[in-house]
Amino acid sequence: MKVHFAQLNQEEQRVLARLKATLALRLAEKAWDADPALRQSASARGVAMKIGVGGAGSSMSLDVPAEAVPEPEKARARRPSLKLYFPSAEAAVKVLSGAKGFAIPLPLRGGAFSALGFFKRASSRATELLRDPATPAEIKAKLLLAATLFGLQAIAGESYLARRMRIVPDGTVRVRVEDIEYIVIKNGNSIKVQKNASAHATTSAGNFLEPTLADAELSFADYRSAIEVLSGARQAVVALGSGQVRIEGLLPLVQGLFAVLDRLSWYLGVEL
Amino acid sequence: MSDFSASKAYFERAAKVIPGGIYGSKSPGFLVPGHFPYYLSRGAGSHIFDVDGNEFIDYLCGYGSQIVGYGNPAVDGPALEQARKGDLLNQPHPAMVELAERLVALVEGMNWAVFVKNGTDATTLATSIARADTGKQIIVAADGAYHGAANWCSTNVFPVFTHAEQRDVRFFPYNDVAALEARFAEERGKIACLILTPYHHPTYKPQQLPTPEFIQAAERLCRDEGAWFIIDDIRANFRLDARGSHVYFGAHPDLVTIGKALANGYPISVLMGSEKLRKTASSFFITGTYWMSAVPMIASLATLGEMERMGGTARLAQLGGMLREGLERFGREAGFGARVSGPSAIPYLTFDEDPNLYLNQRFCAAMADRGVFMHPHHNWFISLAHTEDDIARTLEAAREAFRELVPKTGARHVQ
Ligand SMILES: Cc1ncc(COP(=O)(O)O)c(C=O)c1O
Repeated sequence: MKVHFAQLNQEEQRVLARLKATLALRLAEKAWDADPALRQSASARGVAMKIGVGGAGSSMSLDVPAEAVPEPEKARARRPSLKLYFPSAEAAVKVLSGAKGFAIPLPLRGGAFSALGFFKRASSRATELLRDPATPAEIKAKLLLAATLFGLQAIAGESYLARRMRIVPDGTVRVRVEDIEYIVIKNGNSIKVQKNASAHATTSAGNFLEPTLADAELSFADYRSAIEVLSGARQAVVALGSGQVRIEGLLPLVQGLFAVLDRLSWYLGVEL
Repeated sequence: MSDFSASKAYFERAAKVIPGGIYGSKSPGFLVPGHFPYYLSRGAGSHIFDVDGNEFIDYLCGYGSQIVGYGNPAVDGPALEQARKGDLLNQPHPAMVELAERLVALVEGMNWAVFVKNGTDATTLATSIARADTGKQIIVAADGAYHGAANWCSTNVFPVFTHAEQRDVRFFPYNDVAALEARFAEERGKIACLILTPYHHPTYKPQQLPTPEFIQAAERLCRDEGAWFIIDDIRANFRLDARGSHVYFGAHPDLVTIGKALANGYPISVLMGSEKLRKTASSFFITGTYWMSAVPMIASLATLGEMERMGGTARLAQLGGMLREGLERFGREAGFGARVSGPSAIPYLTFDEDPNLYLNQRFCAAMADRGVFMHPHHNWFISLAHTEDDIARTLEAAREAFRELVPKTGARHVQ
């Protein structure tokens, strides 16, 4: 059943706002990676900006690299040039869903408005890439995977999930499709997502087997499978049976994350 | 690895018309996809056959329900005869009286029986009777214990209803006397019942037998609180002591739930209670369209007789002991801390060095490849249809499976 924004309690409204901001920023980042034209349209120094939502905790940032920037200038280039401030959760949810709403761009240094322009272009480009059937599977999988995992991270702390999170064991899950790799760290009520999992330590049990194993390993057979599952076209439990997804290791940890995933799609279904 | 193409084809069809294809605990992801069948077509004795024609020695036994073997004629004969005459009639068949009498005579400390279908029906009814009788609301249960799929006890992920219905359920770690005492102290005057499995058989973890101190504490706390003590024997019943697993562990419950092996796979479970709760049970409106069907009751009567004829719990312990000893020995020889926990008749293998279950999954996959169905995440069951030959073949496969794991894990091979 569809849920309307006004039906959410205050905490849920805040969580949804953070989720929308996280997704917008992460997708903009992935669009930057995927699209040379978009990169060219941005400042040669890269883009660093923040989104803040009134009453919804610390701000979230976008920091897309600029290879061309000489080392001494890097630190400055990475300082956010803009804070896009939404006075309320509702405003954030509306604007970031493409509806009309109120946002205040707060320049923090030079280049603020070019960053805002970039963010807008990147957001619509990400949406296009996700919708366009001609988008290469690799790019679509990257966008969907980032959105899903960072989406989990954004909602994990909410109180609705707390009881569930309590019975899910803590640990690390490596998520892999072809050469894309993330590590998801579940610790108490929090979920943290990191890129390039191999660098991160795993448990003693993992070490006993193979030094790089996480507590659980989740892998998609190929980009297509990842897209089908992450876009909701195929249920994860079905994909497991058909071999499009494989899970090894600490199953209750992964099952627990599936529960958070259900909650994520509930949030994404909220209507304005 | 076996061919599972027919299983997979059914699964693809199922995914279109059944949520999840196969839902719940039988979902393929709970096993090791690619190594286990999804659909079975028949069983015979201790063996099962899948839709691709693969055969397995079975150690899941229909999640414990098969105790005298698939297709046992001593059970199926009278059951099928009644099926031809009519299973679900308007009024109960006299077999209901006979079965209640048999169970009351058999199960220690219990004076009445109420027949239902699933284990969940029995545990839900038990806790409801305890609440009604005491006028109190709180249920105390162990962390990770499975008592069924109803909202009060399920691990469903929808807090919208589970929060409401589990608001009055309190948890504590099994066997932890201090934690149990703390729960009872926190909720003094509000506890309707304590529900425990006779021993702890959580999914994904080694099994734990109760300490005598734990059982004594449970009984004392219930007595002092005026709460009822429920033993949920749905999974273990008839495998440890035919008089009830509480007898095996020296416990004295007020209510006992029994299912699974009760009728060798025919759908029936039972809630049994002591004299003190008869009146409250009588005042309940207990009903379900199929709850009094005749065939499972006749099958249950036959199962009780057949169990004894086939050697009963002593035989199960003997076969399970052989399996346990062999698995631990071959595991050790291959360099693993392989440990079989729980009673011999309901064993579960874990690896000390791998709480993350990779070794369970790889070992059970390797066993399935060799025609032995052992669940990587759920405890196993021995049945009276297993033979010494089954156990010997299983151990031969296990020896190979452990060895196959060695090069993949770096375990030291110590012969
Ligand atoms: C201890 C215990 N209680 C209750 C149940 C629920 O039984 P059913 O699945 O028949 O509802 C089970 C099932 O596994 C069980 O093991």
